[in-house]
Amino acid sequence: MTDVRELFRWMVVARTLGTTLCTLNVRWFPVEGEEAVHVGSFVDLRADDAAAPHYRDPFVIYLMRGAELWRLVAQVLGKSAGYNKGRSVAFNGPFHLNVVPWVAGDLGSTIGTATGAALAFKQQHSDRVCVCSFGDGTANRGDFHENVNLAAAWRLPVVYVCQNNGWAISQPASSYLPAPVVARAAGYGIPGLTVDGQDVEAVRAVVADAIDRARSGNGPTLIEALTHRRRGHWAGHIVSDADRANAVERPDPIELLRARLLERRLVTEAEIREIHDHADDQVAAAVERANAAADVSEAELGLDDVFA
Amino acid sequence: MSIDTVTAPAASRRLTHMEAVVEAIALEMRRDSRVFLIGQDIGPFGGSMQGARGLYEEFGAGRVLEAPISESAMVGSALGAALFGCRPIVEVSFGEFLPAAMNQLINQAPNLHYMTGGAARVPVVVRTRVGDGPYGGHPQDYVSWFAHVPGLKVVVPATPADAKGLMLAAIRDDNPVLFVEPMSLSHARRADVPAGDYVVPIGSAKVVRAGANITLVVWGSILPLALQAAATLSKEGAEVEVIDLRSLAPWDASMVIESVRRTHRLVIAHETWVTGSFGAEVAAAVAGCLPRVELLAPIKRVGAAPVPIPSGPLRARALPTSAQIVEALRATLEN
Repeated sequence: MTDVRELFRWMVVARTLGTTLCTLNVRWFPVEGEEAVHVGSFVDLRADDAAAPHYRDPFVIYLMRGAELWRLVAQVLGKSAGYNKGRSVAFNGPFHLNVVPWVAGDLGSTIGTATGAALAFKQQHSDRVCVCSFGDGTANRGDFHENVNLAAAWRLPVVYVCQNNGWAISQPASSYLPAPVVARAAGYGIPGLTVDGQDVEAVRAVVADAIDRARSGNGPTLIEALTHRRRGHWAGHIVSDADRANAVERPDPIELLRARLLERRLVTEAEIREIHDHADDQVAAAVERANAAADVSEAELGLDDVFA
Repeated sequence: MSIDTVTAPAASRRLTHMEAVVEAIALEMRRDSRVFLIGQDIGPFGGSMQGARGLYEEFGAGRVLEAPISESAMVGSALGAALFGCRPIVEVSFGEFLPAAMNQLINQAPNLHYMTGGAARVPVVVRTRVGDGPYGGHPQDYVSWFAHVPGLKVVVPATPADAKGLMLAAIRDDNPVLFVEPMSLSHARRADVPAGDYVVPIGSAKVVRAGANITLVVWGSILPLALQAAATLSKEGAEVEVIDLRSLAPWDASMVIESVRRTHRLVIAHETWVTGSFGAEVAAAVAGCLPRVELLAPIKRVGAAPVPIPSGPLRARALPTSAQIVEALRATLEN
């Protein structure tokens, strides 16, 4: 099992990378404040399990599965070295790492394909599972209802994590969520659990239980992780103070874990500095390498690659 | 015993369109354990219009999966299962329900291979039924929409043999294929269907009746009406070449163009509406090809009246008829 210090390192990488990507591409979706949900939901998956993350800068999830950092940065910069030849939205992951693809900008359809990954695993009589995360805005697409219901009816090995950050672009949750997302679990007859999305250990514990349940043939679980979007919907989106007043402020997940690690004497201040410095170096090197790479060209257009 | 039966190859049997589709599915399910079926009422009930008859009895609930009425989740989960090594067939009972799965059909299915840089494959067949038929319900035909999008294959067999051959081709294809069954043909009269492994390549049209004077391009339910019209014209001294497209995406433009080069006249007929239908693509391909095709008359198109297809007896007034096709052929020949 991954050491809690490792979780901290991943969260720092996510924050450092995300902050940098936001400066490189004003259209990038900032992950700041939501790192614990990303890391905690996917860290305990096996390499052969399927990961279907929420679109909000999921790069740390791909990194945990073995993706190369500079190639992910290359995707955001529109370079041919990206994993998908510059053809898809930049947050699409490497398929060979069992990442459910993002091939359109519509939200919710990955809940369908993620549920299908779980269906494949069931049909193949394997013990693989899928973890699928999505936002509280996405949770209102019909895809959510149809797929959670179908997965419950067929007892598919899938874990649904609603990453509730309190916002759908500019709208506060009060305008679209009349009840907690987790309350819907009862309607589908599956376990529903709420977790503090700023506490990576708590997220990890509740998701790990749900993964065990799925792996042992006991069907899906719905988890609502309460988190907080600290920035706008995209890097260039400024949230007004008036809007901000509508959102529930939650603590910084990295600060929370840092204090806890120090208190438990699992790390020293010097080691924490080292973790940050290492992340800075890693990201800087990746950006340098990606920047130097070739831009996408006619070769990636792939007129002969529309069909397999 | 009909003449057809006597002259048919020993290895063919006479099946309905529906029986031929089911035979293809059963054959491939026996051969390939990755193939399974998702749909409504496909269990002991036997499927809409008996379209899954016998499959549940042979393959059981493990491979014949009865789903909630959730077209988007059915298609979406089939795509996901295909990404991870399965070869699902999704039965969307009627084409009127395809819009309920539009995100998966348009935003996901065609994009998955291309947008993963060629890494992912989605061998999914979405099977559906459209148009008028003995069932009486669900007559709207939206199939032309799907030929617009790169990355999706669309087939519309009009004979039992093609139904079998195209279904086998569709299941074996590594791409998403929309397999459309014209309902008026589902239980129409039986015809010869080759036994065993029989594949019709996707994208190949067929000259169903050869003729030197005018080309009539059709697909799906219109084929029998087209053949009637051609017989009528033959008595009047004009030989009509009837081409059944069989596939709308990809489609056999070269066969159509080659035919019109000889006949210099083109009529296109289909059950769906004229505006924005795939017939417009056929007309544009012929009108715009180089070297130019010499046309002796304007291209004519025949389709449904521009109204939502009505229910009950009124429907007959909306749908194209053999008489309308005859009229279009005559007008084109007179020009």
